[in-house]
Amino acid sequence: MVMACRVINKRRHMGLQQLSSFAGTGRTFLGPVKSSKFIIDEECHESVLISSTIRLLESLDLTSAVGQLLNEAVQAQNNTYKTGTSTLLFLVGAWSSAAEECLHLGVPISVIVSVMSEGLNSCIKEVVSLQVPIYNVFDHLDSTKTFSGLETFNISLCPFLQIPSDTGLQKEHDLNDVASPSLTTYSLSGIPVKSPKLFRRQTEVEADKNTLQNPQTLKNSLLASSHYRKSILIHSRHFNRTANNQWINKPDGFLEQHGAATPNTYRCNDLVELEMGLSHGDHNSMKLVDEAVRLQYQNASIQQGNCTMPFRFDISRIFTCCLPGVPETFSCVCPGFITVVSISNTTLIKELENQPVRVILIEGDLTENYRHLGFNKATNINTLLESMKIQQNSSEEVWTNYVLQVLIKFNVNLVLVQGNVSEHLIERCIHSKQLVIGSVNSTVMQAFAEASGAVQVTYITQVNENCVGNGIYVAFWRSIPSDVIDRINVITIVIKTEGINLVTVVLTSPVTAQMQTKEDRFWTCAYRLYHALREQKVFLGGGAVEFLCLSHLQILAGQSLSKRNHVCSGWLHNTSSWLASSLALYRPTVLNCLANGWHRYLSTLMYNTASCSSEFEASTFIQQHLQNARDSGSPSSYILNEYNKLNSGIFNPSISNKLEQIPSIYDIIIPKIEAWRRALDLVLLVLQTDSEIITGLGHTQLNSHETEGFLFL
Amino acid sequence: MSRLEAKKPSLCKSEPLTSERVRATLCVLKGILTSSYGPSGRLKQVHSGFGGCVCTTSQSSALLSNLPVTHPILKILTTSMQNHVSCFRDCGLFTAILCCNLIENVQRTGLTPTTVTKLNQHLLSLCTSYLKSESCGCRILVDFSSPQTLLCLVRSIVTSKPACMLTREERDHLSALILRAFLLTIPENTKDRLILGNSIIVPLKGQRVLDSSVLPGILIEMSEIQLMKILPIKKSEAFKVALFCASLSGDFSDTGEGTMVVTYGVSLENAVLEQLLSLGRQLVSDHVDLVVCQKVIHPSLKQFLSMHRVIAIDRVGVALMEPLSKVTATICSLLLCNRNDTAWDELKLTCQTALHVLQLTIKEPCVLLGGGCTETHLAAYIRHKTCNEPESILKDDGCTQTELQLSTEAFCSALESVAGSLEHDGGEVLTDMKYGHFWSAHAEAPSIVNWPDLLSRCGCGLYNSQEELHWSFLKSTRHPFVPQTYLPHEATGSADNLTLDCFTAKLSGLQVAVETANLILDLSYVIEDKN
Repeated sequence: MVMACRVINKRRHMGLQQLSSFAGTGRTFLGPVKSSKFIIDEECHESVLISSTIRLLESLDLTSAVGQLLNEAVQAQNNTYKTGTSTLLFLVGAWSSAAEECLHLGVPISVIVSVMSEGLNSCIKEVVSLQVPIYNVFDHLDSTKTFSGLETFNISLCPFLQIPSDTGLQKEHDLNDVASPSLTTYSLSGIPVKSPKLFRRQTEVEADKNTLQNPQTLKNSLLASSHYRKSILIHSRHFNRTANNQWINKPDGFLEQHGAATPNTYRCNDLVELEMGLSHGDHNSMKLVDEAVRLQYQNASIQQGNCTMPFRFDISRIFTCCLPGVPETFSCVCPGFITVVSISNTTLIKELENQPVRVILIEGDLTENYRHLGFNKATNINTLLESMKIQQNSSEEVWTNYVLQVLIKFNVNLVLVQGNVSEHLIERCIHSKQLVIGSVNSTVMQAFAEASGAVQVTYITQVNENCVGNGIYVAFWRSIPSDVIDRINVITIVIKTEGINLVTVVLTSPVTAQMQTKEDRFWTCAYRLYHALREQKVFLGGGAVEFLCLSHLQILAGQSLSKRNHVCSGWLHNTSSWLASSLALYRPTVLNCLANGWHRYLSTLMYNTASCSSEFEASTFIQQHLQNARDSGSPSSYILNEYNKLNSGIFNPSISNKLEQIPSIYDIIIPKIEAWRRALDLVLLVLQTDSEIITGLGHTQLNSHETEGFLFL
Repeated sequence: MSRLEAKKPSLCKSEPLTSERVRATLCVLKGILTSSYGPSGRLKQVHSGFGGCVCTTSQSSALLSNLPVTHPILKILTTSMQNHVSCFRDCGLFTAILCCNLIENVQRTGLTPTTVTKLNQHLLSLCTSYLKSESCGCRILVDFSSPQTLLCLVRSIVTSKPACMLTREERDHLSALILRAFLLTIPENTKDRLILGNSIIVPLKGQRVLDSSVLPGILIEMSEIQLMKILPIKKSEAFKVALFCASLSGDFSDTGEGTMVVTYGVSLENAVLEQLLSLGRQLVSDHVDLVVCQKVIHPSLKQFLSMHRVIAIDRVGVALMEPLSKVTATICSLLLCNRNDTAWDELKLTCQTALHVLQLTIKEPCVLLGGGCTETHLAAYIRHKTCNEPESILKDDGCTQTELQLSTEAFCSALESVAGSLEHDGGEVLTDMKYGHFWSAHAEAPSIVNWPDLLSRCGCGLYNSQEELHWSFLKSTRHPFVPQTYLPHEATGSADNLTLDCFTAKLSGLQVAVETANLILDLSYVIEDKN
């Protein structure tokens, strides 16, 4: 074994460059409008349609050391939060470039690491001011307002950075992409409603600089402006302050609304508003999430009776059933377990319908040869057959007969199996009126165990009366017309029992290639809501948080530090090093580079959501607002005020009877912040790495062009 | 037809250290080690080149165990470093760098190996007796009545591992946790001998570092479903526990070689299961409340036990078996979180190091000043000693004054170079002429500088530049001076942010480095069996 060692950042930092180029592939996934990609395997000519970071990384060759670290970081984010991976990937790219820029400018690596790390910390502290608390959203669930009632209105995808969507729709890449939510949204809106926006492009910004103080003039000017001819700014019951209710920055850093009765009026206590805000334009998915939550809530209320335990949204009890080839409109949410079975079961299901059946739950496979995990089969045992007794049946047959006997003995007509099931057994069972379903999700098993009293067992031999569950109903699931479902040659059935805490979300898509995307998008929305409800607070979204970070960093960079400033010396782990005293020299550079990362994030977001025709345009536009925010003296107050204006007062009487509000855009907090941290951690980890040590590699295993730069020990 | 091949003759190389290749590979190894040293050390990506996990690290334990070096001289070096690390866990890079420096410096002096070996031994004993003496100016006695010193020690260790990717807040949180975990392993009432308990590190990957915590006792992972089954636990008195390390999965552990023939109709599996169930009946009749198994328990046995209200937990793994078997001792679980696998692995190693260092410190209750100050201070002391009192060494060994001077210079500059290796960003390294501490400064400082303004604090953080001090570049030659001995108690008592090193580990590192260097310098032949 020979060890090879390669110095990887002599002149240019290869690691950072690799990170940038990997991250570049995912930039179109940033924001609510995600352009899909085709990934084509040149060897086997297979292709997949993807539109999320996770699916992208699954398809990329990430065998290099840096690629693996990137994959590890993205997977860790996904496994923990199921969301935030696109943000993570984008920021990895943006900040690797930022770190590289700092290297070019001669900033010592240790200083880059400390300043960037503490700079992001400072941002995370700063954005606390943009948190919106969630209060008792389930108190108003009985009201008639549901998510579906609002869906016909064109909600802004990204209000903080929004321009009217008609300009965006003319963009080529949106028109080409049938899956684009912006298009869907547009087609949903019967009335040409345009969403308000906080950040308007320069022309308008100039105009309303003069009118900021007077709501009436603002309204007039907006109505008069060509862009706003048809604009409607909708009244929000939660953001209903008038423009003279300015937010002021108290000396302690907390924001307080000046002139308001209670200081904390930014809050969300309406589930639909919260869901709308978290949908990020994907209303179809969020509508399904809304229905699933409502079903869970109803079920919990019934189960609890008078006991008033606070309701907890249990995402583990939501199950998705995908039906490719069925039109999109048939997606729906139902209580119980909906699954697809083969058409040969039709007669059996008919017989089982309308009567309670008994169930057993098998944890492993239901085959003759299956043994539990950790059981090692001895290979050197032969069974001696006595020549006199020639066996009539194979051992498989004996086993099958035994299973059937058990099922009959305990009067069981339904077997749910987590693993595989012997084909032969399934056939035999069909004839004896027993339905056996394999590959059942473990949470489904658990839900049935709880609701029916069944106990999960590993082997059929373990079954006794205590293990059998009662009162299960099996029926055809007929929400999809039979002609549609016949075309795809399966039958759908629903299995449920009274009080079962399980909701199936049926996802349909006429295009098979999009099924995965659709399922991913549903879960993204579901997890966003789940995290928001768990944290009981959300961020003001649509770029507000990132804008505040950008503006905050620029202001920090502008502050001059006296040499003996202790605030700044604390930024370096190693306070006694010369780097601590040289920090003031490099700090503005590094902070500005970090801020540029946010700038790129925001401009790409705007470009992706079709708010701007080029990233340059987006960039100028952001610059303008940064200037405004700086001039205002307090960026967070500026953002809150602008956000407020977005939702205040201007009203179009023609549709007033239908429209209650346009909700704000919300983001979830911890997953977002963790994605930032993970991104920066990865960049800084790679930045600090100076060599790659490859163990177990001989001279011969390296190609001659690769050996360059390698040293052998 | 078989053919006999004559044995190849062994290859013998004389003066192995003079070979260009050996020098070059030593240089590469030294480069890897010095570039990883200290809180701003650079990280290494270690991987197999065939995919699989990538380890990003700057710790000697991870680096050395992954370096399959080929040359015998390098093998001697890495093996002895690994031995040191496996005993003391800390100061591995210090030891390895010092050893490389010594070899390099001594080669330049042109002295004979015998002379050098003897003189190095003398210099080493000067060092160790000074470090152990009352007058030592770079040693602090640990005051166990306050956590400050121990906390500084832990924090210094955590800070010196940049691949853990901790923010300041996370580092402070974790340092406090490690110390708390250690304190939980100290039994409350001891008679004559103190037997420390265990801290078990439990991985919680993907979570935030600040979610890490310490719990007294042993934490066993089990599925939520299983947990729901056993809750609520009504029993108030102590549990009766049965602990199995053998597999209860019902397979046949070893049927030996050959084939076993069984008659049709005999089921071995059922026979084994029947045995397991009779074991279960025994456990129930013995009123056991909890059955814990290192490996797998047969589902039927589990079912039987749970029907009789016995909690069965399987697959707890070998790591927990020892602590479980002495669960009555002081044991705690450290739930360790970090954002990704690479950083978690590094953090785990760091925690193990810190916990071990605390154990060493309780045995030998003192610490050394860190941040390079001990090395420069020690070098100043040795220089002064050999310059002013050379007789004590010379009379024993029959060496000349010049030989002693050359050897001292090689030894002391090797020590100072280790301190200098802490600097990775092109800064200037200095030492002051009063305490002999280590300082660093911006390299592009103007030629006429006001040093007190340019410098802030010395490496360990004990002194600041505003005192009336004089500095000299570490590389330049200077007159020997007496570094201030006897560390005043009030100086150390007040400082709450010192960088400290483990006394025992560093002392051993110093000895291992010198002895390994002597061994390598003394090698005359390398004989390789080519067969």
